[in-house]
Amino acid sequence: MRNAIILCALILFVTLSAGNTLAKTFGEGITLKTATPVSELLENGDAYVGKRIQVRGMIVDVCEARGCWVYVAGDKPFEKIRVKVTDGEIVFPLEARGVEAQVEGILEKFDLSRDEVIQRKQHHAEEQGETFDPASITSGETFYQIRGLGAQIEGV
Amino acid sequence: MNWRRLNQALHRDIGFLCVGLTLLYALSGIAVNHMHDWNANYSIERFELKIDPLPPGIITSAQLQQVLRQLGESKISKKHFQPDPENLWLYADSRMIRVNLPSGKVEAEKLQRRAFWYRLNFLHLNHAKKGWTWVADLYAGGLFLLAVTGLLLLPKRADLKRRAIMLSLAGVIIPLFFLLLYY
Repeated sequence: MRNAIILCALILFVTLSAGNTLAKTFGEGITLKTATPVSELLENGDAYVGKRIQVRGMIVDVCEARGCWVYVAGDKPFEKIRVKVTDGEIVFPLEARGVEAQVEGILEKFDLSRDEVIQRKQHHAEEQGETFDPASITSGETFYQIRGLGAQIEGV
Repeated sequence: MNWRRLNQALHRDIGFLCVGLTLLYALSGIAVNHMHDWNANYSIERFELKIDPLPPGIITSAQLQQVLRQLGESKISKKHFQPDPENLWLYADSRMIRVNLPSGKVEAEKLQRRAFWYRLNFLHLNHAKKGWTWVADLYAGGLFLLAVTGLLLLPKRADLKRRAIMLSLAGVIIPLFFLLLYY
């Protein structure tokens, strides 16, 4: 009995003191050989909607609450694209911010009314602990988003 | 061994076997339920600073160095991003720094993973997948058996029996009530 307790304590100690055990590959990982520039997706998104695509770039923001989305920086200034994954299927660690990544998924297009944009941004602000003024939204929004299926992130 | 003894033995042994996982799921369950009030995975320290304002636009290398110098940062160099002409995001180790260029307002976040809770949630939310899925399924099966064998442990004393039935019914009615209320 004493030995069993010592063994359990040892396993607990080793587990808790071990380094980061998260794999660098998330979900289905990377299956495509080439990446599509984010600028191309944002400019000619309709041609890619419903298709599996890969993007490469720095992860510039991560969902703080659940790790259920990331933004990947584009190849042109001020451009980024959101990658949303099913809650729990893939969980992006917050340490991924500022790290280079390859992400794959299906491109989706959203046409949101002003109310829907407010609702979405309100939810986003709550998740990130940020402030949001609904009055700052004056119209609806059309945007592209990747339904994330897999990713490979360096050094997380 | 009659069925009552077998049932008792099963209930007892499965109960012991489930202790560790029950504690894990219970603690992590509370943490996950209140994730919006308290981030169990990370400790995030936020602080604000002020630097000299800069004109909006694509930040130049000289301007970036100026910002870094004022922030006392030297490691960041290339890890930066501009979501729009007015804002600059910088990344260093476990920190993310958001700079509003025209106002010079800086919001910084320092991140630290909560080792114990992160691992607990990692298992509870089955981020591990693979073999852990089987362990979690077996645990669920163990809980099912605990419930069934528990029901069969009905005491012989009439007052205790009544109490056991009432408590068991309460355990069924509570989730049903909330289903009717919110669904």
